[in-house]
Amino acid sequence: MGSSEEDYNFVFKVVLIGESGVGKTNLLSRFTRNEFNHDSRTTIGVEFSTRTILVGNAVVKAQIWDTAGLERYRAITSAYYRGAVGALVVFDITKHQTYDVVERWLKELYDHAEASIVVMLVGNKTDLAQAREVPMEEAKMFADNNGLLFVETSALDSTNVEEAFETILKEIFYKVQKQRSSQTNTVSLASENPASTAAAQAERRPCCVAL
Amino acid sequence: MAKSRGGGGPSSPGGRSLAGTRESLADPGCDELSSLGSDSEINGGGPEERRVDKFGFIVGSRGAEGTLEEVPLEVLRQRESKWLDMLNNWDKWMAKKHKKIRLRCQKGIPPSLRGRAWQYLSGSKVKLEQNMGKFDELDLLTGDPKWLDVIERDLHRQFPFHEMFVSRGGHGQQDLFRVLKAYTLYRPEEGYCQAQAPIAAVLLMHMPAEQAFWCLVQICEKYLPGYYSEKLEAIQLDGQILFSLLHKVSPVAYKHLSKQKIDPILYMTEWFMCAFSRTLPWSSVLRVWDMFFCEGVKIIFRVGLVLLKHTLGSSDKLKSCQGQYETMERLRALSPKIMQEAFLVQEVIELPVTERQIEREHLIQLKKWRETHGELQCKSPPRLHGAKAISEAEPAPRKALESVPSIFVSPGPAPVPKARKSKEKSREKGPASPANGPGAEGNGAPGTTRELLHPQASPHHQSKESLSSRESEDTYL
Repeated sequence: MGSSEEDYNFVFKVVLIGESGVGKTNLLSRFTRNEFNHDSRTTIGVEFSTRTILVGNAVVKAQIWDTAGLERYRAITSAYYRGAVGALVVFDITKHQTYDVVERWLKELYDHAEASIVVMLVGNKTDLAQAREVPMEEAKMFADNNGLLFVETSALDSTNVEEAFETILKEIFYKVQKQRSSQTNTVSLASENPASTAAAQAERRPCCVAL
Repeated sequence: MAKSRGGGGPSSPGGRSLAGTRESLADPGCDELSSLGSDSEINGGGPEERRVDKFGFIVGSRGAEGTLEEVPLEVLRQRESKWLDMLNNWDKWMAKKHKKIRLRCQKGIPPSLRGRAWQYLSGSKVKLEQNMGKFDELDLLTGDPKWLDVIERDLHRQFPFHEMFVSRGGHGQQDLFRVLKAYTLYRPEEGYCQAQAPIAAVLLMHMPAEQAFWCLVQICEKYLPGYYSEKLEAIQLDGQILFSLLHKVSPVAYKHLSKQKIDPILYMTEWFMCAFSRTLPWSSVLRVWDMFFCEGVKIIFRVGLVLLKHTLGSSDKLKSCQGQYETMERLRALSPKIMQEAFLVQEVIELPVTERQIEREHLIQLKKWRETHGELQCKSPPRLHGAKAISEAEPAPRKALESVPSIFVSPGPAPVPKARKSKEKSREKGPASPANGPGAEGNGAPGTTRELLHPQASPHHQSKESLSSRESEDTYL
């Protein structure tokens, strides 16, 4: 939990999505608390956690949201996506089925979130390399073809978890910066664009990105 | 994720620490075990040496409580004998003395009888008797691999700090698998919803798999229909109902949540779908469930409203909730004081939110839903608000709950110790008509009157405790 005395310039809401059991909750706990739990509870409803990192000279508070991956929970996720500027679409490299449905998750994402949302494809559980079912090249190609960032991680042994979050937060940050510099005197605080909203939020603190 | 599967494999406990969340990378055996890393001094050895609290939670873990207020032993014994009497004369009590049942549920069911009482209250005992062998039949089937896959992934993720569920492949996880699998076979159109796992786990802590299965059926079909279905429409509607009811219960909290545009789904989903089993301290969970089985979903609404009111209900409390995120954090980290058994139960009992209000609000929200979403895609039967409604909806004669008298006394002016007993005898007639309520099974024998099932009760089966003045001495909440 971030303290309110923390100095931060930006608050970025990032959502974790993907099939049940791929490791979203552990990616969250690994990044925000450096914890991993084999028996972390099934996520029902919404979980979230924050961590503040430096992106260049900016202090960025990442609000990471986590929710249930089971298909039927998708019905209740529009509130979850609101205001998100980034999304990590997670699959399990040892279960091809969880990769097969990535397209469906992307569709759901674009149906509910802003078109400008920064998306990263994450292949988790590299610690179980011997049981790999999804070749890295295949996933990388899919990501490239669809304009997604891509990384493979292991929440269990921490591989690439920092990198994944840092990368996406950087991307979001640069996007926000670009938006700010390209907007002249037409910045509308009521804009639907989450990137500009985030930028607007940056001027006031402490508070959250308008959701 | 470790490859070990629940259901069938031998439990491989190894050593465990209570550190809980830190993964010990130095211990390569960890992968196959529960995540409670390597050995610690607390354990001393095998799982048998693990200390557990009276509910079965490993001491020191999340879920285990500190010192609990205990009901004095003689009060507990009195309650037990009262409950035994009620259970032995259940139909009569449900028909005539339901208010007393409700009062006793509010006081808390004695732990030794809780599992049984839940089955009687929910009507699951009757369901089981009506469906003898059905669970075994479902148990033997393989099940749809699509559901089994998800269920297996969840087995070690329910109350992992409870002794019953801590071992991968242990009996608790196996039974959880059996119950959840059976449900997907019983209701293939519903399949599996992840919130059913904690519900089933709580039931399994109190009764065997077959009984737990039927209790789960009752919860999913009578108490909370539609909660676990595709689309999760019922839970969304209840979120809206909860929020509307909040307006009257705590205008301050309502205004705050409105202003910050916090959708109820963001905080009430886990509360309602798991009936607070993942939110409250365990002693409070059990008290809430005692009342829930008796009085239905209004208890769930009341608990939600109490928590919201006492968390966000004053400007003082709202000081640190400047943004949506802070508010949600606050709702996630509820004050132990407001969740504490005695406080919470009292607040719930006193909160004037009724079934009628809930139903009225339900109609309003349903209308709004239709305007924005169109017709409901998953139509569930209307819910039944508790034990009495469920029992009244039950058409078939319920021989199951009849005590079988072995001594018959011929009717007539038999000498009875207390005057009121003969009054009760003469007033004895069953509830009027069989089911015309929703959700009833339609194939019971219609119109069977109770007289046939209640042969002139002998004094041996009269309730001695029914109007005991000792009830008023039992003021422990």
